[in-house]
Amino acid sequence: EEEFKWLLQEEVHAVLKQLQDILKEASQRFALPAGGSAGAVKQQNFALSTSGTDQVKGVLTLQGDALCQADVNLKMPRNNQLLHFAFREDKQWKLQQIQDARNHVNQAIYLLMNRDVSYQFKTGSEVLKLMDAVMLQLSRARNRLTTPATLTLPEIASSGLTKMFTPALPPDILVNFYINLNKLCLTVYQLHVLQPSTTKNFKPAGGSILHNPGAMFEFGNQRYEVSHVHKVECVIPWLNDALVFFTVSLQLCQQLKDKISVFSSYWNYRPY
Amino acid sequence: MKVSVQAVAVWGKIAPSHSVTAIMITDDQQTIVTGSQEGQICLWDLSSELKISSKEILFGHTASVTCLAKAREFEKQPYVVSATENGEMCVWNVTSGQCIENAKLPYRHTAIYYYHCSFRMTGEGWLLCCGEYQDVLIIDAKTLGVLHTLSSSQYSDWINCMCIVHSVRIQEDSLVAVSVTGVLKVWDLSSSLNSIQERQSVCEKESKSLDCINCQAVRFCTYTERLLLVVSSTCWQVYDYCDFSLLCTEFCKSGQCFAGGEVLAAYRLIIWTEDGHSYIYQLLNRWAQMGNSHKKFSGLSKSIYPADGKVLKETVYPHLLCFTGVKENKSFPFVMGFMNERKEPFYKVLFSGEASGRITLWHVPDVPVSTFDGSPKEIPITATWTLQDNFDEHHSMSEGIIDHLCASKDGIKSAVVSSSVYIPSLDKLVCGCENGKIFVTLGLKTARARLLENVSLLKDYLPYKVLNGHSSRVTCLLYPHDKSVRFDPSWLLSGGQDSVVICWDIFTGSIIHQFDLQSGPVTELLRFPENYRLKDHSIVCCVCSDHSVAILHLQKRVCLLHARKHLFPVKKIKFDPVENLLIVGCEDESVYIWEIETGTLERHETGETAKVILTSIEDSEYLVADALLPVSQESKRNKNAGYKHSSSYKHGMVSYSLTHTEKSSDKLTDTSCIQQPFTILPVKTKWNNANFHILLFDVEKLEELLLSSQLSGLKSSNSFHNSDTLERVKSTTEKRVLTLKRNKIAGSISPVDGQVDTVCSNQVCRDKNAARPLEESGGMKRHKKMKSSRKIRMQPSGNIDVTVTSDTAKLLLSCLLPWGVDKEIDNLCVRHLDILRLQCPVSFGLVSSENHLSLMLPGWKCTDCGVLEERAVINLFSKRVIDLSNKYLAAAEGQTGEKDGPENNDYGTKGLETVFFLFSRIALINRIINIPSAVTGKSRYYSMDFGSVSLLKLICCWSDQSIKIIEAMQAVLLAEVQMAMNTLRKTTICSDPLAIVENGNGKLQTLPKTEERDLQYIKNVSLLFSALKHDKSSNSANFQDVEDTPDRCVLEESESPGERHLKTITKYQVP
Repeated sequence: EEEFKWLLQEEVHAVLKQLQDILKEASQRFALPAGGSAGAVKQQNFALSTSGTDQVKGVLTLQGDALCQADVNLKMPRNNQLLHFAFREDKQWKLQQIQDARNHVNQAIYLLMNRDVSYQFKTGSEVLKLMDAVMLQLSRARNRLTTPATLTLPEIASSGLTKMFTPALPPDILVNFYINLNKLCLTVYQLHVLQPSTTKNFKPAGGSILHNPGAMFEFGNQRYEVSHVHKVECVIPWLNDALVFFTVSLQLCQQLKDKISVFSSYWNYRPY
Repeated sequence: MKVSVQAVAVWGKIAPSHSVTAIMITDDQQTIVTGSQEGQICLWDLSSELKISSKEILFGHTASVTCLAKAREFEKQPYVVSATENGEMCVWNVTSGQCIENAKLPYRHTAIYYYHCSFRMTGEGWLLCCGEYQDVLIIDAKTLGVLHTLSSSQYSDWINCMCIVHSVRIQEDSLVAVSVTGVLKVWDLSSSLNSIQERQSVCEKESKSLDCINCQAVRFCTYTERLLLVVSSTCWQVYDYCDFSLLCTEFCKSGQCFAGGEVLAAYRLIIWTEDGHSYIYQLLNRWAQMGNSHKKFSGLSKSIYPADGKVLKETVYPHLLCFTGVKENKSFPFVMGFMNERKEPFYKVLFSGEASGRITLWHVPDVPVSTFDGSPKEIPITATWTLQDNFDEHHSMSEGIIDHLCASKDGIKSAVVSSSVYIPSLDKLVCGCENGKIFVTLGLKTARARLLENVSLLKDYLPYKVLNGHSSRVTCLLYPHDKSVRFDPSWLLSGGQDSVVICWDIFTGSIIHQFDLQSGPVTELLRFPENYRLKDHSIVCCVCSDHSVAILHLQKRVCLLHARKHLFPVKKIKFDPVENLLIVGCEDESVYIWEIETGTLERHETGETAKVILTSIEDSEYLVADALLPVSQESKRNKNAGYKHSSSYKHGMVSYSLTHTEKSSDKLTDTSCIQQPFTILPVKTKWNNANFHILLFDVEKLEELLLSSQLSGLKSSNSFHNSDTLERVKSTTEKRVLTLKRNKIAGSISPVDGQVDTVCSNQVCRDKNAARPLEESGGMKRHKKMKSSRKIRMQPSGNIDVTVTSDTAKLLLSCLLPWGVDKEIDNLCVRHLDILRLQCPVSFGLVSSENHLSLMLPGWKCTDCGVLEERAVINLFSKRVIDLSNKYLAAAEGQTGEKDGPENNDYGTKGLETVFFLFSRIALINRIINIPSAVTGKSRYYSMDFGSVSLLKLICCWSDQSIKIIEAMQAVLLAEVQMAMNTLRKTTICSDPLAIVENGNGKLQTLPKTEERDLQYIKNVSLLFSALKHDKSSNSANFQDVEDTPDRCVLEESESPGERHLKTITKYQVP
């Protein structure tokens, strides 16, 4: 009984403090523009490359959760023609995954901040509920980074991304950016138009993170087939840190939960 | 989806936990709707005096409820939409508890607003949603499909809060929203209606970064049409809506967080905090203040000023008028809301819900004023209530299903059931208790004993066994034979908090083996997949609370493997039969692979690889058979487990939960036609250990069964001696006879058949109880035999069905009848139809489409029909029922007048027949109301059945009038019983003189009367059974019956000579 009280009053707060510190660290990685004043967020450049072939090269500039510059060089395999396109000056592309992850982390921090040292936990279930809420936010944050959205090709084609480049993207090229774990990925799809008379039976491809050559889709009354897929990626170090922080804090949460449930099993009556 | 299932809830003493996460009051101020972390939605009655009482609880969501909102114009349709943590959305009818529509979208909403623009919009309106996604979603209020999004051109981010601004001044509806980063955005609604309908992208009209993070609420002042209130967790601010300039800021006290606010009146605000306090502020005008030192009505003086921004600016400052608080500073987070209604009889109500499940109301006066010395005044709490209060108040209703057993046993306070399982094949209910005891009883009998009145006999003779073995709470139970035959039918497994798994012999109650796991409470017991390589081995999987998984071999009585390395709770257990591997998926999405033979951890994977492993195994397993064991930790049994799912509603994590429960139980009633139209569904709730049970009656099935049993009853009695089945019955009944030798009537009941059984069911119940031990052993034998020959097993079970079904039907009828409306009806039912009086009102449930269920809570009736008459009326669902039944009666009489009611004469003839008839009516109504479309097509068929098209029409229009199905059923039942009684009365009047002459005693007039009526049943029975013996038995059964009814003179009864009966019987037998 005494020990449980101690756990609730001292240990829980110690863990919560620890959690808060970790998460604040994590949230700093996301370089949150403080209070909407998006001035001093530093920009980071990342060079994208594939091992072996150098068909696609690119330099991306990441500012917080937004891609503010992108330079992509694409070597066409057929005629060795070199294509170059970049973001228009006035546009930037929000990486939804980073934004969501950041928001989830901030939610988790907010939950923890509400229960600072002055707050007295009275029952174990209270802590369990708080931990569940925090863990939910954390696992969502992690999932947002680890599982990129599965998009269909028409969705990629219709997204605003295609309109952001200068010179404008040729109609037979699609691009998509996403985060996978700690990596920022760029996929470039080369398409060729399917003639309506072709004997190939048309089967539209479903949603996927990465479409394979041969995937077909219909967009704007025109049928396309993916002929080449290029994927380039680069590691973003701070994303890696963030993921590690998530994992660590999730474990902390679970440990705290376990500690509390141990007590409940010793007392046969309802402790919560 | 089976719609013919009727559910009756048997609650326990402890209310299910309900941590309020969302709360709202409907527009008519009659219902409070709360959503909980457990995933249920609770409906509370709010009386005009602001008294709260719980009404219904709605099941269907599998995750924590995040927000609630109205989903239609409330005057037209009382619909409310709920959204959950995992993206489920559901539209409920809050008057009937029905689920109207549900959907699962990949969005988590935190706020929903209903928007409808009647003259420019088609359809039912929109739900404007915001949450953990960018910008605002527009969802169709009817289909719950995503219509469109309101997107933003820059700073697109999650929206924290929003409000709809109806401005008369500019004739434009707009949506004001604040994002997580504190950017305020305004979208036009009415002027962009067209572009939304044509799916053009709609961008915000204005966007301005406010200097506030963690915005909690934004509100527009409709009184001034000028001010905008923005509440963030640290402060609240007032902006000028015209140019979004900041007018004033007020910070909160340290240690508090603002959670929301609302505009009370012009220049008057109410702000509330996360810990349940609220503050009412008056915005004072500094200039007016100077002239008039203490002027409250600065709002008035304000309007004199030319309302331009410059004047407003820097002239407004807040003054605290009133505040509300909770008595003891409870540490739970609060969810609050405010309802602003000025017109009578509505109130201004501030309401809050706590994580503990408490609801509190404050009635805010129309003109809040501070105390005379200028200090703020406290507004007292008007009402406060919890679910538990209701459970305590209606004590008898909230009695657990086996509470009476425990109480009768040793006088100690009854143990709380902590886990239970129902075994349909044996009709056994196994309940594990808090104190480590396990009770094994008969399901139907227990339910009868719990629900019905005057069945002290039933209670006393209710056979049950207590298994003692656990030292602390029984956490889980498993009857493995249920699904796979390779388990011995006598095995029952129980896991306790003491980390012990015991394998019991369910028939003898002895311990077969005890596994001591030493790894914390056992949380889960699971059957192993069918196609395990060592097929005939009986293996069970066991999950403990230290996240370890143990594999127990029941036959060898050893623990094959105890996998202990898991850091996170176990979510999935899969099995690779080829490699003989155990694959354990944890909550953090890591995977552990164990080798079963050696017990070593082979691999540990996380991330993508883990996912791949889990999914690949799934595929391979599917190819083989349905061998995989997709176990979600929360849903107690897996999908293939079939019959019973005790499910726990757990916050946050995706679980199969009730969805599966319902699905499977419905499947059960669908497929297992021979066995059970009646099942008991144990339900487990998360945070506290309160368990309750739901009795499910499949009306259609019951009707079918009754019909077939009647037919077979006729048949079998005709071919009495050559029927194999009957011989079997005979032998079993002869067994009973042996035990009943000391009983006088023993000899006479030997050839008891289902039909007789029901006439003298009181007696039979006794028989059965007495015969129980024998039957049980017989049952065991039967099961032993069953392995060799299945046929034999089927037959006896078919026979038992006859009594079981009729008992079940009667139980359901008892539950449906409004007792106490008419004494005569009550008596009639009890005496002749053997429908027994209820002990207390019954909590009915409504199974609506797609596995959604609403259950009435104890105390549902108190507001509705508290003072009907002086007589104690139990179980009347609403006052409307009586009106309805009168209407029905009128319609029926008008109709039968022409036909001279040949039908009606039938009613009174046979007890069972009447029961059956009533039941078929119920089934019919059930069908009609549930499938209104089918009625028109099939109306001819129905009218044949029903005898009258007008009745049919009447009922059809009921279903249009949103009359609850339960009300309709009760009304029709009441009317039918009344009719049946009328015909009975007629017949008894004819025979009355005779009876009086014979008896010569005025006092006992009722006695012969009823006996006459009894005799009529007997007549029929005796017509069926040509042997005179049977009549004797049923006569004596009648005596028994009469003895049991309290208003009888027992002496007279016993004196009355049997000859008379015999005479009359033989008289009747002549034709």
